[in-house]
Amino acid sequence: MAAVEHTSIAKPVQSARPNWLARDLIGVAVILAVAVLGYFLFPNNLALLTRILAIALLVLSIDLVTGFCGVATLGHAALFGAGAYAAGIAAVHWGITDPFLMIVIGAVGGAVAGLVSGAVILRGHGLAQLVLSIAVVHLFHEAANKASTYTGGSDGLAGISPDPIFGMFGFDLWGRTAYGFAVALLVIVFVLLRLLTRSPFGMLCRGIKEDPIRVRAMGASVHGTLLKMYVISGVVAGIGGALNAISTQVVGLDSLSFTLSAESLVMLVLGGTGSLYGALIGTVSFMWFEDFVSAANPFHWLTIVGALLIAVVLFAPRGLYGSAQLLLERFRGAGK
Amino acid sequence: MRKSILTALAVLALSGTAFADVIKVGVVGPFSGPFAIQGKNFKAGIDAWMALNGNKVGDDEIEIVYRDVPQADPAQAKALAQELVVKEGVQYLAGFYFTPDAMAVTPLLEQANVPLVVMNAATSAIVTKSPLVVRTSFTTWQTSAPMAKVAKERGVKKVITVVSDYGPGVDSENAFKTTFTAEGGEVVDSIRMPLSTNDFSPIMQRVKDSGADAVFAFLPSGPTTLGFVKAYNDNGLAQAGIKFLAPGDLTQEADLPALGQAAEGLLTTFHYAVSHDSAENKKFVEAAHKAIGNPAELSFPAVGAYDGMHVIYKMIEATGGEQDAQKAVDAVKGMAWESPRGPVSIDPESRHITQNIYLREVAKAEDGTYYNKEIATFEKQGDPGLAAAK
Amino acid sequence: MQTVFSVGIDALAYGMVLFVISIGLSVTMGLMRVVNLAHGAFAMIGGYIASYAAQTLGFGYALAVLVAVVGTILIAIPVERFLYRRIYGAPELTQVLMTIGITFCVIGIANYVFGPTLKTIPLPETLRGPVDLGFRTIAAHKLFAIACGVVVAAALWYLIEKTSFGVKLRASVDNAAMAASLGVRTKIVYAVSFAVAVGLAAFGGIVGAELLPIEPYYALRYMVTFLVVVSVGGAGSIPGALLACLLLGAIDTTGRYLLPEYGEFFFYLAVIAIVCVFPRGLLGRSK
Repeated sequence: MAAVEHTSIAKPVQSARPNWLARDLIGVAVILAVAVLGYFLFPNNLALLTRILAIALLVLSIDLVTGFCGVATLGHAALFGAGAYAAGIAAVHWGITDPFLMIVIGAVGGAVAGLVSGAVILRGHGLAQLVLSIAVVHLFHEAANKASTYTGGSDGLAGISPDPIFGMFGFDLWGRTAYGFAVALLVIVFVLLRLLTRSPFGMLCRGIKEDPIRVRAMGASVHGTLLKMYVISGVVAGIGGALNAISTQVVGLDSLSFTLSAESLVMLVLGGTGSLYGALIGTVSFMWFEDFVSAANPFHWLTIVGALLIAVVLFAPRGLYGSAQLLLERFRGAGK
Repeated sequence: MRKSILTALAVLALSGTAFADVIKVGVVGPFSGPFAIQGKNFKAGIDAWMALNGNKVGDDEIEIVYRDVPQADPAQAKALAQELVVKEGVQYLAGFYFTPDAMAVTPLLEQANVPLVVMNAATSAIVTKSPLVVRTSFTTWQTSAPMAKVAKERGVKKVITVVSDYGPGVDSENAFKTTFTAEGGEVVDSIRMPLSTNDFSPIMQRVKDSGADAVFAFLPSGPTTLGFVKAYNDNGLAQAGIKFLAPGDLTQEADLPALGQAAEGLLTTFHYAVSHDSAENKKFVEAAHKAIGNPAELSFPAVGAYDGMHVIYKMIEATGGEQDAQKAVDAVKGMAWESPRGPVSIDPESRHITQNIYLREVAKAEDGTYYNKEIATFEKQGDPGLAAAK
Repeated sequence: MQTVFSVGIDALAYGMVLFVISIGLSVTMGLMRVVNLAHGAFAMIGGYIASYAAQTLGFGYALAVLVAVVGTILIAIPVERFLYRRIYGAPELTQVLMTIGITFCVIGIANYVFGPTLKTIPLPETLRGPVDLGFRTIAAHKLFAIACGVVVAAALWYLIEKTSFGVKLRASVDNAAMAASLGVRTKIVYAVSFAVAVGLAAFGGIVGAELLPIEPYYALRYMVTFLVVVSVGGAGSIPGALLACLLLGAIDTTGRYLLPEYGEFFFYLAVIAIVCVFPRGLLGRSK
């Protein structure tokens, strides 16, 4: 993990400038290519692909606080669920069914949840932090269960029917619109996050992860910076939640659950923390694998998923992306 | 010659499903995770039906496609249902243990031209969400309300209700309260406890302090019922003569070996007991035991699945294998048959199952195992929950 | 007043059961610095073996407990050798990934081998049924759990603070390289403490089975509770864990008595408050 960061930090900024632009363009091109490929390879499975994209936003959002700032959290679904419920409640109770508006509302919901949970979670470190995050997600979950007039409680919030996009593309059974919408959202968010992580603010966050005391000595506010990042992370997770609400037209309590939080953290670590690509690769590989084995054997697939996680720790301890990058570097090093 | 073969092929291809074909039924349920036992029962019920009635309707072969949703997760359920319809090409959706999952799928049905046969999910409102939903299980209202009458008959005056704080729990509380108050009884207190409660001693203390003659309880089947029933005994409520009333979820057969002696004498109302005495049930239990492997695991979701398959076979028969959801659903409206649980029918209005509800007492069999012994019958019960919601 | 006593007894019993089940995790997490999310899985394995020994093989309760604890440790030895040894000292998130993987595997295997039904461990006659305390009755097995908690706490405290093994363990934890160069065979020390932790998990799983029944999902269902209890107490501190269990048990029980509808809020708000005031846990060791 550390090595990945060092390679990107160590390079002098000026000479790296044109380099990163080209690399990011290639990155976006790869994402788009994979998305198009997915569309044509699995035209009958777009619902799953859309769901993967929504969760990818959540995992990216965890990466922002965990991978870039070093905040450990097992409660990030609180932000995702807040976005989903905000968008869902807006649609069901206030009649706001424009998908773009719902995304914005979801982002705001996520940001507010990010502010609240960040304020709590950032009070601890290490293990204490994990526990605080668990407590936060449980409180959110209970609150949503209690407010059943608005959230539908454990029966779920059903009856979300978003308008067609631009009045033309409806959200239907085949899920083409939802998929296209999701891909567009993901790419936009991804590009913005790339810019963010390269900005001085992003660098400051990495600095805090490496050595908070030194950053404080430099005169920067550690707590303020982290809280800001938490809010941004909430926006991203909220967009993911709203996307999920729009594409599935329902929000359940599971979107605020500890299970989802833990699962998405597992996806992040699987892919590799501290790089946006790692987050994407982790989400896609975990969810695809889970769907594949659970369809192949709906009764005993959990064992195989467990074995996969163990194998990853044993053979690719930096996560899939991190380890692949390390291999590539070694290969290049040997070539020189 | 060649031309005629081609035409024949073309006719075959065009007429599609009318000829011998494979008709797929997509079943969504909890097959792993904390509710794996209930998913296993779905499969046992389906397997039992197919073992007894063959895997063919007319010339069409029936194939079941299973998909796993371990815990209530409407988004996942919907994505899987979409996948089943679009990718696997299923003509029927069935299963669904949890209400939110079933609710999430209902908006798809019309567009997909697929009927949904709910084999468990027990919230009344599901059938109102789409005209293509048929339910062969029960509703919490249906199984809870008769208990109020039992309480009244047995001279209970004051009751305290204790339920898990989630949809079905609240349903159960309302069903009991409404009926019991209408019968002239008094509900002195209502406690809703979080689903994650493990230690029920403080709750039992509340029950004791309330001065009620009986406690009406609802918890989801599974591990927590064990702690609850034990706490009822250990805290001396049984000795104090406070009666224990509940719908049958609390004493499902799969949990009885664990509950053991602690459950003896508990009164529950439910639509099905594995011990039900009828030829139809003997046949079912024998086939289902074979399907599930361990007989002790057989429980109520199996009968919902068994009858669900009955309904689906009838639908396929009525449509001749064509995909026509409305016609299929219309064909089973008013359908009546002898189920392993007793005489049942599909109410043409609500598309929910009308059935007998039985009062049962947990009793010890000669071989030392415990079972639900049916001691009274409430005949032909509809779903009071729908009426109450209106 | 009687009610206060009564709820107090419930709180004490619940807290002690929590303590017996979670204390093994305090050892792995606090002393060995492994975020061991598979703790519940080992407790569950213990429960399953005990249940099998008692019900199918017809062993007595004490023998079943012994067989289960030893059996679980035997199962854990290869797991420690091939899996845990790879993550000592690794980043926390890697440990999370590995131990969740192990948990998933154990759940899947348990579901396959034992089926998804609840398993019970039949109690001996003396521990069955209610005991009359004069002003109320309490389950005999709860008194037994309280006694077990006291014994385990005392024994562990003695082992860690007073024996030479405890000295070696603390030395290895604080500075493995230095301890090794002074002749402490750290690998053995780690393996032994892991075995102790697993044995405690199994024992806790069995003693607590009346409250937290054994079923395949056990390993994940109660993971959060264990994690919270240990962290609130301060990982690695035996008195801390004891204090945390009693405190959280009291808060939880009182909350459930007074306002059961908001039980969950009480518990987690209390956790947040405690962790904010004592970021290292109630009696955590400073680094």
